[in-house]
Amino acid sequence: MADGEIRLETVQKELSRVMQTPGLSAAVDNVDKIIELLSAARDKVAGALDPHTASLTMTKLQNPIKLAFESVNENLKEVSSTQKHLGKALDKSFPSKPLPADHDAMADHPRLINRAIAMHLLREGQFSVASTFMDEAPDSPLNSGTYGLIESEGTPSDDVDEVMDEDDANANADAPVSVAARCSSMTASNSEHQGFPSLQSQELQARFAEMYGILQELKARNLVLAIEWARNNSAELEARGSNLEFELSKLQYVWLFKGPSINGMPDNEHNGRAGALEYARQHFGRFQERHLREIQQLASAMVFAPNIAASPYNLVFATDSAFVDVAASFTREFCSLLGLSAESPLYIAVTAGALALPKLMKYRMATRAKGTEWTTSNELAFETPLPERMLYHSIFVCPVSKEQTTESNPPMMIPCGHVLARETIQKLCKGSRLKCPYCPSEGQIKDARQIIL
Amino acid sequence: MADHEASKINHDNHLLLDQSLLRLPYELLRKNFRTAHFNFEKDSSHVKTLLKETATGSLNGKTSPQDVVKNLDMMLSRMRGLKRKLSVQAEEESRLYRQVDARVSHLRELEDMHTVEDVKYEAWSRQRLDRLVVDYLLRHGYSNSACTLADTRQMHDLVDINTFVAMNKIRKSLENGSVQEALAWCSENKKELRRMQSDLEFMLRCQQYIEMRRSGSGSPAKMAEAIAHAKKFIVPFSDTYPEEVRHIAGLLAFLPDTTQEPYASWYSAERWTRLAHAFVEAHNKLLNLPSFPLLHIALSSGLSALKTPACHSSQATSSSQPSHSTSLTTSVCPICSTELNELARKVPYAHHSKSHVEHDLLLMPNGRVYGKGRLEEYAVKAGLPSGQFKDLVTGELYTSDKLKKVFIT
Repeated sequence: MADGEIRLETVQKELSRVMQTPGLSAAVDNVDKIIELLSAARDKVAGALDPHTASLTMTKLQNPIKLAFESVNENLKEVSSTQKHLGKALDKSFPSKPLPADHDAMADHPRLINRAIAMHLLREGQFSVASTFMDEAPDSPLNSGTYGLIESEGTPSDDVDEVMDEDDANANADAPVSVAARCSSMTASNSEHQGFPSLQSQELQARFAEMYGILQELKARNLVLAIEWARNNSAELEARGSNLEFELSKLQYVWLFKGPSINGMPDNEHNGRAGALEYARQHFGRFQERHLREIQQLASAMVFAPNIAASPYNLVFATDSAFVDVAASFTREFCSLLGLSAESPLYIAVTAGALALPKLMKYRMATRAKGTEWTTSNELAFETPLPERMLYHSIFVCPVSKEQTTESNPPMMIPCGHVLARETIQKLCKGSRLKCPYCPSEGQIKDARQIIL
Repeated sequence: MADHEASKINHDNHLLLDQSLLRLPYELLRKNFRTAHFNFEKDSSHVKTLLKETATGSLNGKTSPQDVVKNLDMMLSRMRGLKRKLSVQAEEESRLYRQVDARVSHLRELEDMHTVEDVKYEAWSRQRLDRLVVDYLLRHGYSNSACTLADTRQMHDLVDINTFVAMNKIRKSLENGSVQEALAWCSENKKELRRMQSDLEFMLRCQQYIEMRRSGSGSPAKMAEAIAHAKKFIVPFSDTYPEEVRHIAGLLAFLPDTTQEPYASWYSAERWTRLAHAFVEAHNKLLNLPSFPLLHIALSSGLSALKTPACHSSQATSSSQPSHSTSLTTSVCPICSTELNELARKVPYAHHSKSHVEHDLLLMPNGRVYGKGRLEEYAVKAGLPSGQFKDLVTGELYTSDKLKKVFIT
């Protein structure tokens, strides 16, 4: 068995063996026997109340009681040794590995963590837990205005160090600018959601309750509420480049088209092909400009109605995964309009944390002697690989300096189309000219331009 | 860096956060056993002695049969008491074994999963989050929230509510200015505390003394009481804590309203908060528990691993990863999302040695760069005439001849 290998099977085996032993209940049984012996003797002495019986009984009692105590002792010894065996199995099969214990970077931010938890509970639909929590936590993470969703940013900064040194409270006190609005330009562009920062827990809860209501309807294959929501928010959705509203309407058309035998809705003129046509006439007009081709497709499908599965429109009319997909898109858009990520950030962060922790521990072990503190620098000193889907931003690492580009050292494209970090370009240039390190071309430094990845 | 390798679950290192899940019930089993053993030793030796004395007394006629009955009654009540206590401990023992069993099974579920993309992993990881949140809530004394969450998730066997509720009770009593509960805990765990060289009990005794001084600073009788207390509980430690003992002695000369240091600090009400901290620290150390919430550890590692320079930049970046192939739009990054943005502000960002960008990048005249595929798809969805593209973020329109290829090496 390799060092550090986890073999929980061994622990489980040992445990099932342990659970078959009587444990402390054997000791209880033996104590019961002592009680029986004592009370029999008591009855005897009390019944006769003469000195002879008393001394005889007491003498006779000595040995059995002694033996009984010894067996309790044996029971206890056995319990202890069984436990120790389990402990050894645990040590061997699930060896202890140290956790970071000296520095707790999160300890200074109980309010922020409380808020993250409260929002997590709300978005998970755990409304009763969330409300218990908000009652119980003294600084009610979402209730008070200051520490609710109005979390201001510090100076949005070239100078990261300055922000790092800034006291949390100070940072909160000035210029309450919405993080939500800032971090996603999509939401920043729409006026309704600039009001989001002052959103209070009840509003947030109401929003998530709305989201769950709609999702539940979608699960039951009822699109009406979702379409209504998308229509009410169509401007914002369009600004995000989302065509959720059309996707939902399209699905509604397809769903009606399939008729009562599949969609289970009442068999009347509002259902089936006739219903679908009626729906299209009423609602597709608004989408004509943007989605004309798709609408034409949907209409042409009528011709193939008797045998859609064998027609070119088969794919458009497959609804098996369509509802699941549309529910996922809906969740993403709904959360994005609130400036929130589609999946719980707390969940993603903790999962990423568990994945990255081994690297962190390895690094700490290696640098402990040197006393390097990993939390003090701006960038981790080691890589923490995460699965692809946990990468949310483009990462550009300058191929020359091997540094990630930042706001103060942004990526620049030189005339030949290659990209370098600004500091690299400054170092590479000779006078006003710059030779590309990756191709033979040479250019003017003034032609290099900053790009936004 | 993102590759297939990164999605693999490294089983030997994936349970770093879950060690106390099995360690704590084991420690509690040992503690439970020690209590049982202690009770047995105390009661059995008492009964043994009394039994012997009664037999001898009865033999040489010094003990009357009535007294023999009386003694037997005493022994009986001792043993009944012992039985009651042992039964409680036997119950606790089987509860703990059941708990370990449930926890081992929970941890073993991971053995069948090999990548984080496994659908079962998400469920498992969500349960881990729930466990970590409950641990956090309990350590902060939010017991009702912790219980409600454990109830709704049906995971009582996976969390340690009793342990932390008991801990918080003692902590609160200290914060409210009472040492009794903490002293009782110290005497329950005398041996272990001594092995740990904990000064908790000594500090509690000092606090008792300080309170005697505070409440009776004018009365000679109270003064004598305080001195007697110090003689009994504090002076014996003059070798171990010479400085403290000197201060305690000096304290006799100073009234509670003194501004003279170090005596003013000894009289300070803040000491209660410090005692509460010291108690929690000793408690966690004794039970081999991490000194701060596991959620903190997971978060500080996770926030850094996810964080990029873009997360706290004032400028909206143009291309995040499209999160699903079914949609062009992207999900907000968890670090950018309101929940964690401020919390992540001061942690370092992840280190990457390779660029991670979309394929076939095109630069728009406004400086924004997008993958070709995404631009084309968006143009189709937006119903643009061919040869026209629309900026995904700003909505600006450009013709294709205005776009430039970007090479990322």
